[in-house]
Amino acid sequence: MPPAGGFENVKYKRNLPFRGPSGLVILGGVTAICAYGFYRIGLGNLEKRELQRENVWSRIHLVPLLLAEGDRDAYRRQLAADAREREIMKDVKDWEVGKSVYNDARYAPIDKIVIL
Amino acid sequence: MSTFHDGSTSSHPYKEPSPLPSSIPKVDELGTTSAPLKSAAFFIGAYCKGYNEDFMLCKAENRDPAHCLTEGRKVTRCAQDLITKMRENCLKQFDEHWKCLEGNNQEYNRCRKPERALNNCMFEKLGLIKTIPGSPPGQKQIHEVENPIFTRVQK
Repeated sequence: MPPAGGFENVKYKRNLPFRGPSGLVILGGVTAICAYGFYRIGLGNLEKRELQRENVWSRIHLVPLLLAEGDRDAYRRQLAADAREREIMKDVKDWEVGKSVYNDARYAPIDKIVIL
Repeated sequence: MSTFHDGSTSSHPYKEPSPLPSSIPKVDELGTTSAPLKSAAFFIGAYCKGYNEDFMLCKAENRDPAHCLTEGRKVTRCAQDLITKMRENCLKQFDEHWKCLEGNNQEYNRCRKPERALNNCMFEKLGLIKTIPGSPPGQKQIHEVENPIFTRVQK
């Protein structure tokens, strides 16, 4: 016999709960986030280049100053070395003090020094 | 006994006590260390442009240190003059900026705040503007950008 009030209705409707955004939406979202990230990287690369140039130019502006100071020091040391050489070689005839070892009028910086 | 040493690799300091002969005019060396120099670099470039270019053209003629002593002295005197003026007019901002550079690996982009104060002061008092040659036209120069991408990691 059927229960009082009749049988329950047969459940025939599909039960598909919402399980998050679709694959297309996720793919689109990921693409958008990546695109924004690459855009920022591009901007960052441009900015990095500018920062490098700023750094390089700060150094370029200082080159004459540092070079001048170094030159004065090198010149002072060279004069002193020449005076020493003159003193040591005073007995040698036809000795030219401070003569370059190269047969060339161009300036060649000394790469070896004598430390007594 | 004397032996040959490469000056740069010697364990002894390479000292030469004898001074320059008195026939060469005396100029005090600029005893400024790296951070203040870096802080003042663009102003030195702007203020001493003529002297600097003169000196570099002279060096291009001949690399001999004896050849450009006169121009070199002018360069150093000009830089002295600028540093003195900077210290007279913008001492607080200058000190703040170079101390910031000192504490931040001497990177300009981490010290924009004190740099802006210094730049403003230098423009108002001495009329010197920091410009970076070769910046892309029509854009703000990198030190004027308000929201840069590369900033200090720790705010």
